[in-house]
Amino acid sequence: MEPAEQSALSQALDQLWARFLPQIEERVSILESAAAAISADQLSTAQREAASAAAHKLAGVLGTFGLARGTDLARELEVTYSREGVPAPSAHIATITAELRAIVASRK
Amino acid sequence: MAHSILIVDDEDDIREVAALSLESIADWKVYAASSGAQGLALAIKYKPDAIVLDVMMPVMDGPATFRELQKNPATANIPVLLLTAKVQSSDQRRFADLGVKAVLFKPFDPLTLADQISSALGWD
Repeated sequence: MEPAEQSALSQALDQLWARFLPQIEERVSILESAAAAISADQLSTAQREAASAAAHKLAGVLGTFGLARGTDLARELEVTYSREGVPAPSAHIATITAELRAIVASRK
Repeated sequence: MAHSILIVDDEDDIREVAALSLESIADWKVYAASSGAQGLALAIKYKPDAIVLDVMMPVMDGPATFRELQKNPATANIPVLLLTAKVQSSDQRRFADLGVKAVLFKPFDPLTLADQISSALGWD
């Protein structure tokens, strides 16, 4: 692939990122709400399922935009939320959710 | 001759990145559908050279859509590749056993997606 073509693709991807950023941020917000609910020991089944779906979608898309670490973190959260039952209160979930937010915010 | 390909994925960001990648890098004609039902309709209408089918979709998921494609003589011979974010080996085996040409994984690299598809379909 020619450098000019690669640059054009990169620019087009940046435009798609900007366009889809609101829905990506919304998915992170769902995970933040779930993490807060876990800390308060108030995570509902519906909230857990929504968090699992949001994490699954983030895992699939973040690496496509070059955020491989974001995919890894989202996958870890997907595994956590796809288990039956309420996850035990955990600082780790809050920590990786916060890191995920920072990764999304870091991409220009 | 440029290939034509149908992408079926309910996630619009994934669908658009894949379309951008295949159109700009491989110069393929890309059709896009946001559901299994729409994918079936577009497959019948356009007869693409191949179909990339997301596994997890509401109502009619990827495997169910694949089975419907197989039932229809108009689409039964179109090669299908599944696209999934699932990485567990049991899922991979289950998908491979369906009879699809290949299983592609999310996240994909937009720079190499066309090569992956070409390689899986022997288009090299």
